[in-house]
Amino acid sequence: MSPQEVVRGALSLLKGMKVTIRAFLGPSVTCQYPRETLELSPRFRGHIKLVADEEGKLYCRVCGLCARSCPTGCIVVEGVKKEGEKRKTLTRFLLDFTRCSHCGLCVEVCPTGAVAFSQDYNLASFSKEDFYFDLVEEFRRRGGG
Amino acid sequence: MVAEDLIKALEGGDLSIEEVPYQQRGYWFDIKAPKDRIVEVAEAIDEKGYYIEDILCVDYVDRLEVLYHFNHWEDPRRLSVRVEVAPSEPELPSIWRVYPGAAWHEREVHEFFGLRFKDHPNLAYLFLHEGIDFYPMRKERVEVPEEDRQLLNYLPAAAEEDTFWINMGPQHPSTHGVLRLILKMRGEYIEQAEPVLGYMHRMQEKMAEVRTYQQYYPNTARLDYVGPLAFSLCFVGAMERLCELEVPERAQYIRTITLELNRISSHLLWLGTFLLDLGATTPYFFAFDDREQILDLLEGLTGSRLTFSYYRIGGLYEDLNDGFLEGVKRFVERMWKRFEIYDDLVTGNIIFVKRTKDVGVIPKEVARRYGATGPTLRGSGVPFDIRQAEPYAAYGDLQPEVVVGERGDSYDRYLVRLEEMKRSLRVLEEALEKVPEGPYKLEKVPKKPVPGDVYFATESPRGEVGIYIVSDGSDKPYRLKWRSPCFSNLATFTEVVKGQLIADAVATLGSLDLVIPEMDR
Amino acid sequence: MRRWLREQFDRYFGSDPVRLLFALGGLFFATLVVLALLYWVVGKVVTAGLEAWGWDLVRLLLGLLGVMVVVFGNALFLVWAERKVAGHMQIRIGPKEVGPYGLLQSIADSVKLLAKEIITPRFVDRPLYLLAPLLIFVPCLVAMVVIPFDARLQVRDINVGIVMILAFSSLTVLAIFMAGWGSVNKYSLIGGVRSISQSIAYEIPMLLSILPVVMMARSLSLKEVVKAQSPYWFVLVQPVAFLIYFVCAVAETNRTPFDLPEAESELVAGYHTEYSGMRFSLFFLAEYTNIFIVCALATTFFLGGYKGPVLPGVVWFFLKTYALIFVIMWFRWTFPRVRFDQLLNFSWKFLIPLAMANLLVTGGLLKL
Repeated sequence: MSPQEVVRGALSLLKGMKVTIRAFLGPSVTCQYPRETLELSPRFRGHIKLVADEEGKLYCRVCGLCARSCPTGCIVVEGVKKEGEKRKTLTRFLLDFTRCSHCGLCVEVCPTGAVAFSQDYNLASFSKEDFYFDLVEEFRRRGGG
Repeated sequence: MVAEDLIKALEGGDLSIEEVPYQQRGYWFDIKAPKDRIVEVAEAIDEKGYYIEDILCVDYVDRLEVLYHFNHWEDPRRLSVRVEVAPSEPELPSIWRVYPGAAWHEREVHEFFGLRFKDHPNLAYLFLHEGIDFYPMRKERVEVPEEDRQLLNYLPAAAEEDTFWINMGPQHPSTHGVLRLILKMRGEYIEQAEPVLGYMHRMQEKMAEVRTYQQYYPNTARLDYVGPLAFSLCFVGAMERLCELEVPERAQYIRTITLELNRISSHLLWLGTFLLDLGATTPYFFAFDDREQILDLLEGLTGSRLTFSYYRIGGLYEDLNDGFLEGVKRFVERMWKRFEIYDDLVTGNIIFVKRTKDVGVIPKEVARRYGATGPTLRGSGVPFDIRQAEPYAAYGDLQPEVVVGERGDSYDRYLVRLEEMKRSLRVLEEALEKVPEGPYKLEKVPKKPVPGDVYFATESPRGEVGIYIVSDGSDKPYRLKWRSPCFSNLATFTEVVKGQLIADAVATLGSLDLVIPEMDR
Repeated sequence: MRRWLREQFDRYFGSDPVRLLFALGGLFFATLVVLALLYWVVGKVVTAGLEAWGWDLVRLLLGLLGVMVVVFGNALFLVWAERKVAGHMQIRIGPKEVGPYGLLQSIADSVKLLAKEIITPRFVDRPLYLLAPLLIFVPCLVAMVVIPFDARLQVRDINVGIVMILAFSSLTVLAIFMAGWGSVNKYSLIGGVRSISQSIAYEIPMLLSILPVVMMARSLSLKEVVKAQSPYWFVLVQPVAFLIYFVCAVAETNRTPFDLPEAESELVAGYHTEYSGMRFSLFFLAEYTNIFIVCALATTFFLGGYKGPVLPGVVWFFLKTYALIFVIMWFRWTFPRVRFDQLLNFSWKFLIPLAMANLLVTGGLLKL
C-alpha cells in the first residue's frame, strides 16, 4: 500500500467520522410513541366503517357489491326489507379484519358511499375473535343512529 | 436491424414468423417453432445477441404451449417463440446449453406443468419442496408420475475431500427475505453455490386465475413490497394495452411521479441494508430517515405506506391531495443535500471500497445469458433501461438518463444506484412542472377484456418486470405470468461467486438487491 | 409525583444530547470527586486506626476492592453508554424507559442475563468449555493491578509492569481458543480461529509501538512512564506510535471495523455462540473491561496518565480514558467491517513495517 493510498484512506475514514459526530450532536428524529403521536393523513386506510347522513340513517342499501368485489371475501352483509321502505335496511355488516388487505375496492365500488376508511389503528388484542367486526354495532357504539 | 437479420436467418421450413402489432400485444415478432427445432432456433437467437427474458407455459387443455421471450439491448423488439407440446408426450429439449439462465425457468415450468426437459442438468423442484401429488397449474388434475416423485427435495451429493457444505440458512440477519444458500466450501473459498428458493411461494399465478382483474390488483403490490408501484403499473398497463384504453395525461404524469418516488425509496432501503450486511449500522438509519419523508408523502396521497393500492385500470384511485406537489418539491430540495452524507460516509470510505471493488464481477456475456436486467446489468456497462427502450406512463416526454457502470463489480452497482437516485430527482423536478389538469381516470372501463394475450414490461428498481396475460374473454385471467427481475439476477450469482470468500459472497448478494417475495411469487 | 418529575426531565433534556452530555458529565465529575474524597477519608482512618495491622496489607486489599469496583462500574457504565452513543449517532435516542435516560438499563440487562437458563450442550469439551469464560478475565484483572489511576492510586507498581501486561494479554488468545474449540461447533471454531489469528497479528505492532515509549521513559514500570511525561506528553513526540497502538487496540478487543469473528451478518456467530446466560455475560464483561484496559494503557503511555492541571489526577485519568473509549465507539458506529484477509494483510504488511521503522527512527534520534 503506497503512502498516498494510506493517507487518502485515512482521510476518507475521517470524513465518515465527521458525518457521525454531526449526527451525534444534532437532534434525533425519534417520535417517542406513545407519549407523542404523529398525525395520520386524512386518507389513512384503517378498517372500514359505515357512513350515515345527517339524520343518522346509514347509506348502505345492502346491494352486496362490496362483498362481491372483495378479493379475500371478508365482508358479509345482511339486511331485511322493512314494511313501507323502498330499500333494504342493514342488520349486520360483518368484516373479517384478519383477512382485509386495505385495498379499497369496497369503498370504491359502493354506489352510495356507505363505506369509508376510518383512522383507527390502536387495535391490538390478544385473541383473533376480537377482529371479527360487526360494523353496525361499531357504528352504534360510536354514537350513530 | 438485428431482428430482420434474425428473421432472414431463420426463415423457411416449418417455422412461421409473423409480425404482430406492438401496441396491442407488447411484443413484435411471433415465431412458432416445432419442438425438435427449438435448440436450433435458440442458437440462432443467441448468435444475434438476444437475452432471455422468460420461459413460461400455458395450458390450453388440448395442447400445452411453451413460450420463450427474448429481447435485445440494442434493438429492443421483443420476440416470442411458441412451441406446442401435446399433453400426451410432455417432453421438450432444454436450451440451457445455449442460455444457462433457462435452467431455472425450465425447472419452474416442469414443476408446475409437468413438462420434462431433455438433458437438463438438474430437473428438480424449484419452489414446491414438500412434494406435490398433481401439477398445480394445469387446468385439469394431472397426477405426478413415479419417476418425477424421486426428484423431490434433492440434496447435493456427499462432499469430496477438503470440502464441506455450509448453509446460509433461510433465517438471515441480512434483510433480503427468506433465501437459503447451500455453499460448498473449500476452506474459506466457495466452490459452488446453490440457492434454494420457494420459502415465500404463494402461488400468485394460480390466485390470479380465480379472481377477477380488479380483485387481483392488490396482489400485485404484495409481490415486491419495497417497490410495489412498478409491479402495479405492470399489471394495470397490461390491461390497458389489452383493452386499448387511452389513459388520461394527468394520470400518466402522476403515475410517473409516484414511480420515481418509489424508485428512490427502494434504492434507499437497498443502501441501508447493503451496508448493514457489510457491518456498518448507521447509514441504515440515515437512509430510512430519508425514506420516511417519501412514505409520508405517499401516505398523504394513497393512504398506505407500503402496499399502495393506488393505480386502477384506466387511471388512479384518487386524485392528488393538497400539498402533495409542494411536498415533493420540498423533498427533492432536501434530498439533493443529503447525498453529501452518503458520499462522505460510504462512497469514499476506504474500507467499503476495499470490500466491494472487484468483488462479484458480472461480465456482460454472463448477464446476457442469464437475463440479468436493471442496475445489475447497467453496472456491467450495458445502457439498457426499459424506460427508454419501451416508454410507458409519461416517460416518453421525460426522458430519464440511463446510468452505466464500468466493470460490473459490486462497487459499480452501488454507484449506479446512487446515480439513479439523482437522475430520479431530476425526472421528478421536470415532471412536477408538467403535470396537466384533467380527469384522473377513465369513466368506463370494460370488466371483460377482449380475448388475446399481452405482454407489458416496466422498469422496477431491481430490473425489468414483465407480465404476460392470456385472456379468454371472461372477467378472470386465463393465465398470468410474472417475469421477476430478481429471479434472473440471482441466477447470475451461482456463476459469479465461484472462487470467492464468504465475505465476498455476502457483499455480492447484497449488491444484487434481492427481494425474495418477487422471486418466489 | 414520579410522572411529574419524568415529564420535567423530558422537557428539559428531551432529545438534546449536548445538554444530556453536560448534565451527565457534571454528575460523573461529582461522583469522582466524591470517590476521591472518600478515599482520602478512608485513608486517614485506616492510617490512624489500623497501623498495627500492616499498612501495606490493608492498602493492597483496598486497592483490589477498588479495582473490582472500577471493573464492574465500568462495565455497567459502558453498556449504557454504548447504547446511548449508538442511538444518538443513528439519529435516534437509545434506551430511555428504564430509569431516567435509561441509566438503569445496564442493571435490567444484567438481571435478564442472570435469569436466563444456562444451557450446556451435551458434547462439549467440558474442562475447556467451562474454564474459558473465567480465564478470559485473568489478563484484565492483572493489567488493572499495575495501572496508575493517580500518583498514589496504584495497587502495586511492578518494575516490569509493561512486560507483565503484554505477557498476560496473550492469555486472552488462549481463552478464546478454548471457547472456540471447546464448544464443538463448526461456526464457533471458525470464529475462534479467526479471532486468534487476528489477535496474534495485532499484538506484534502493539508491542512494537510501545517500545519507543519504553525507550523514552527508560523504564518498564508504568509509574515511571507517567512520570517521564512531565514537560510534554508522549503523543506529541510519537504520534505514529500512538496511532498504531490505537488501531491495534481496536483490533485486539475485536471491535468494528475488526469484528469479523463476531460478525452477525455472516454465517459465523463467533466463539461465544454456545454460551448462554451468566457465561455469556462474562464474555461481554471481559470485552468491555478489555476496552477500558487498552484505553487506560493508551492514556498512560501516550496521554500523560493522570497528569493535568487543577482537577485531581484521578479525574483526568478517567476523562482521558473515556474520551478514547468514546472514539472507539465512534469507530464502531461509522465503519463497515474489514474483510479478514485484508485485515491480516493490513497488520503484517503495513503496520509491522511501519512500527519497526518508527522504532528505528526513535532509537536513532535518542542516541544522538
